Amino acid sequence: MLQSEKQSLIRFLIIYLTSTIFLFSIASWIFYTSSKKNILEKQQQSLKYEFQNILSTIRNLHQSNDKILYYPDSQEYKSAMFDLDKEYIFGSFDKDISYDYRDKEVLIYKEKVEPYYLGCAYLLLAKDIDYSDIFKLKKMVVFMLFIAILFFSILGYFLGKLFVAPMKGSIEKMNQFIQDTTHELNTPISTILTNIEMLDTFHPELSSIDEFSRIEIASRTLSRIYDDLSYLNLNHKYHREIVSVDMGEFLEQRVLYFQSIAKLKSIDIELKVEESITLEIDKNDAIRLVDNLLSNAIKYNKMAGKVIITLNQYALSVEDSGIGIANSELNLIKKRFHRANSSEGGFGIGLDIVNQVIHYYNFKLEIDSTQNMGTKIKVIW
Amino acid sequence: MKSIILIALLVNISYTQDMLDVKCLSCHRQQQIPSAMIYRKYLLKYSTNRAIKSAIYHYIKNPKEKQSIMPKPFFDKFPRKKRMNTEDRELEILIDKYIDRFDIKKRLKLKKSTDKSTDI
Repeated sequence: MLQSEKQSLIRFLIIYLTSTIFLFSIASWIFYTSSKKNILEKQQQSLKYEFQNILSTIRNLHQSNDKILYYPDSQEYKSAMFDLDKEYIFGSFDKDISYDYRDKEVLIYKEKVEPYYLGCAYLLLAKDIDYSDIFKLKKMVVFMLFIAILFFSILGYFLGKLFVAPMKGSIEKMNQFIQDTTHELNTPISTILTNIEMLDTFHPELSSIDEFSRIEIASRTLSRIYDDLSYLNLNHKYHREIVSVDMGEFLEQRVLYFQSIAKLKSIDIELKVEESITLEIDKNDAIRLVDNLLSNAIKYNKMAGKVIITLNQYALSVEDSGIGIANSELNLIKKRFHRANSSEGGFGIGLDIVNQVIHYYNFKLEIDSTQNMGTKIKVIW
Repeated sequence: MKSIILIALLVNISYTQDMLDVKCLSCHRQQQIPSAMIYRKYLLKYSTNRAIKSAIYHYIKNPKEKQSIMPKPFFDKFPRKKRMNTEDRELEILIDKYIDRFDIKKRLKLKKSTDKSTDI
């Protein structure tokens, strides 16, 4: 699966599942609340039925001539009588209770009764809430929610795949096009570079001719673009050979390589390198990383500008005196095909490659830029 | 000193109980008036001791059929009550004693079932 396809699918799934889970949670909550209410109402109904039974017993007690009048008591229900002034008369609670007796764990039913058998004007009935049905309901709702999430996750995955299919096709076509193009460019570029080197060797006098220099620079630029495109195409299947690279020496080589291009814009490249700094890195990755940073620093620089390359034990930074990058563009420039400024040519793959190398080696990239002042890109390892 | 107060209290209670028997219940018994049933009638209608006391007081002060809690056939069977010449304070004490003696609520007890216990 392509990286962009994966990202789009993940984003789609996040939005789709978040909204679905949110809606389902609300629906489940409403269902749970209403079902719980029904369960409690059912229990309240049984309380009302018991209320009538107790009332009937109180009526019989009022008419009884027995020496001891046994007040109805059960473990399931507790009741209490109150007179017209809402004063406690008698009850089956463990202690005397007030007329305003409340307990959130207990269902209460209270009603005025008339006539006042045993002086009882208000009869209060209480029963512990039976949580077993509510617990069953909770379990069912959680289970349903889980099934719904599972179902919609699977559905979302296939829907997402369906949505990204056209995008996947376009990207694959473009990648195929780049792959074909680079493949076709390989031979002519190699031929040009080989012949330039041959001319350099056999006809050294040509080096001083401006036209020849320009051809050489253009060929190197073309070669670099070819290398970048090949790198992007082969990135997933690329076998890296990690070696110790002397970064100071390596940077001097790359600066030399870019010297002729920099000269065209009269750009001065300053190298501030601490000695004996080595990095465990694949040589090609190091070339792609440094070349792209240098190429950008030259490309987006002013005429007669400056590029300062600093290398120390912890980081490599490339600072230019160029056009800079707007704050709003800072987060986007690392993406492939994005160019912060279209005044210069290019495919917008430079920083994408830098980013890929940095990710692979767990480096850190810091970009500090001020428009019309310059940009400083720092790679920290 | 304590024993003197206790004796005085007991004598007083016994005296008022006797007073209730002498001044009220002796006639009730003689005329076979069901005192307990009358109390229950009051309880059924007035619920609180305060209201019962007030109702009995007003009836005794003005013992007319209209003021009574008992139904009309009751007066066909039992003689009508004569007005009592008792002082208010004494009358109130007698009514309290009457209510206390026939208070059915005092006979209420819990019949414990053998089911499992509950949290209420």
